[in-house]
Parts: sequence; structure tokens; C-alpha cells
Amino acid sequence: MPGAADIVVDRLERISGGASRETYRFRLAWRDGGEVRRRQLILRRDPPASLIDTERRVEFEAYRAFAGSAVPVPEMLWLEEGSEALDHPFFIAEELTGFQASPQMLFAGGYEAVLAKVAQRKWTILGEIARADPIALGLDDWMPAPAPDDCWRRELAHWEAILDSDEAEPLPIARAAIRWLKAHPPPPAQKLSVVHGDYRTGNFLYDEAGEIHGVLDWEMAHLGDPLEDLAWGFNPVWQFGRGLEGGLAPKAEAVAIWVRASGLMADPDALHWWTLFNCVKGQAIWVGSARAFIDGGNKEPIMIYPAWWLLNAQDRAILKVMGRL
Amino acid sequence: MTPKVPAVLGELAQVLMRNAVPGVPDAERANALGLSAALLGLAAETWDGAAHNLVVENRAIRDLLGLAGEDGDLHLTALGAENARLRARLIDAHVAAEIAEDTARQEAIWAELRASTERRLISVSLV
Repeated sequence: MPGAADIVVDRLERISGGASRETYRFRLAWRDGGEVRRRQLILRRDPPASLIDTERRVEFEAYRAFAGSAVPVPEMLWLEEGSEALDHPFFIAEELTGFQASPQMLFAGGYEAVLAKVAQRKWTILGEIARADPIALGLDDWMPAPAPDDCWRRELAHWEAILDSDEAEPLPIARAAIRWLKAHPPPPAQKLSVVHGDYRTGNFLYDEAGEIHGVLDWEMAHLGDPLEDLAWGFNPVWQFGRGLEGGLAPKAEAVAIWVRASGLMADPDALHWWTLFNCVKGQAIWVGSARAFIDGGNKEPIMIYPAWWLLNAQDRAILKVMGRL
Repeated sequence: MTPKVPAVLGELAQVLMRNAVPGVPDAERANALGLSAALLGLAAETWDGAAHNLVVENRAIRDLLGLAGEDGDLHLTALGAENARLRARLIDAHVAAEIAEDTARQEAIWAELRASTERRLISVSLV
């Protein structure tokens, strides 16, 4: 903003949630020439310790890569990787106002008539993410590009290492799942895709007509097997107790939408592998949340709730996916 | 539950104190108190059965693994430490049963693991 003067920040308000980043909304006002301008913005700042530890540059660039595409995202404005200004790195983006993200609100009854539309849009957009060429988007500058036959190994090793370092007590169910995953590897990725990493109901903005206006929370974005992203939403904890994938649609319907949009295949055995993998990944995230609290790095209640609410549910999800529940 | 309940209650007490003073923005206060209330509800729900469930589970794992012993110290910290020791042994036993292709042993371990999630079930469980 080289020509800006009289810059004012007001109406600063922390937004609930945000276990991996602190999120605030605020209004920015400035004078540009003779004209006063105002804009609603979002500040995402790294917390002292997080449920997941990722580079904010990766998240920032993932958002930027999809700007203006069929994948709706808020506009990214500024990234600060230093800690001098606000104690921790942060970025600033436009706020998409007037929409909801809450799954609880989506399933409270008022949106029943548009849930099919939300489902259609949800998996169509995910298909668009899978279809995109990460090299053409320039994302290989920020994210390592694994070989197609190494995607599963890299991801499993990453999340197993987090379980190793963060678990506060033995996890016999997750460990059994990891042994099964290693013994039954999936086929190589059919293409290298952008993987959002946390694409589920709750991480997009929807309206009363069932349209999706923004895909959020790209902090776990990476390059990998597109089936990983599809299967994250099939982690049974994201059914929200409704018996439908993402609380929205039967699996066959969700897969069919994604296949049409992505132009890719969804081999059932490979999808099963990635679904079980994502249950292990989920468990590593909840365990990491507990660890951040136990070590004192982040004592916010938001760090406790995922662990108390989801650790056992995730174990049960693993049992379910493995046909043991 | 992990993190342990006493540590969480201590932290929630501080959250309540911080939000009892004037000047906290409404949205932040509502978020902090709502989340604290949900956590207090979960702590209340699990309180009565916590020691019982650990004793039952420790006994079940000892029976399964053919181990002697009993829980003499009924403090939750002691029961939890013994539970962690036994569940680590259960992982070893599971690996051994897989290597030996002992399907009956594996099924017995899976049954105990399934039961362990029933003991830990909370009213708001998603699965």
C-alpha cells in the first residue's frame, strides 16, 4: 500500500476455533489520495504451539495458487514470516463475509433443502483441486514433489513420526492400523496433485442456497496422491453422526461427483487404504493437540477439546474402517 | 482422558478468572466460556467411572496376557500409569500374534481393543 495514509485498524475481534492458527477479523481503513477506503480483513497468526506445525508460507501460496480459479478462496494480501511485528509470523487476507462454516449450523435443520447442493459443490470443488496441475500453479516451488509411488510412504512416515513424538500414552489401535497400512501399500498415485490436507465439512464457507464461497484452512496443503484428499473427508469422525460422508451424501455419490469433476479414478482398495491412513493422521493431530497442552506450549481450551472429544472417536473410526466395529 | 482432568480443571479455573473481569470482548468471552462449559461437562461425565474403568481394563489386559498382579493403588495417576504399561504390553502381544499368524489370539486382542473404546465412550462421541 505505497500510497496509503491515515491507516486505521479497528473492530479487531478474535474468531472462535483456530487450533492451528489464531484467527482475527478486523477493519482496515486508509486514505488513498483524497479517498477514504475500508476493507474487512482476516489476520491468521501462528500460535505459541499448535495442533499442527506447518509453514505459513505454504498455506499462503496454496491460497494464492487457486485465486480466480474454479476453487473459491479468499484473496491473500500480505505475508509476514518474521516475528518482529506481532510476535509470531502471520498473514492477512480478505474476509469473505455473510457465509457460514459451522457443520453444526449446516445440520441443525435450516439447510436440509440444500444439503444435496452443498454435497455437489463440495466434491466438485475437491475434484477441481485434484485436477489442477501443481507444477503449472508453481506450487512445487513451495512444496516438495514426491514420486507417485512414494506419496503414501512419505505421508505415513510423517504422521507416524508425530505419533511417536507426541503420544502421551500407548495407542494400540492406531499402531495396529499403521502395521496394516505398511503391509498393504496402495498403488502409486495416478497423478501428482495438490492435496488440501483438511478438506472436510467445516472448512468451507456456504450460503443458504447451498453454494460454496470459500475453501479455508490450507495449512496442511502439500503435493501428493489426490485420493488422500478424497479419503480425508471419509474419515468416519467427519460424518458428524449422520451416517453420511461429510454428513452430506453416501460414499458412492460423493465419489461419483469427485470422479466426474477430477477426471480421475477412485480405486476402492486404494481409497480404503487412504481412508484408514487418514484415521491415523487424524489421531496424530488430536494427539498433537494434547501434547501442545501437556507441554505448556498452548494452554487454550481449544487445544483440549479435540483430544477429549476425538481421541476415542478416532480409535473407533479406525476399528470401523478396519471392519472391527 | 488425555490431557488429564486435574490439569485441565486447573487451566479452566484460570480461563474463568480471566473472563470474569470486565473488558473482555463479548465474542472472545462467549467462545472461552462455551468451550470451558463443554469441557467441564465432559469431565463431569467421566468422573464417576474413571477409576472403575481403569481397574476393569487393567484386569482384562492382565487376563489376556496371562500376567499376575492387581491394582493396589487406586489413585487415577497410578491406575493410568499401570494402564499405559499394560497397553504397551498389549501392542507387543498384538505384533507377536500377527507374526505368528495366530488368528485366535489376534481376535481376542481386537475384542479387548473394541471393549476399550466402549469404556471410553462419551455422550458426544462422533463414532
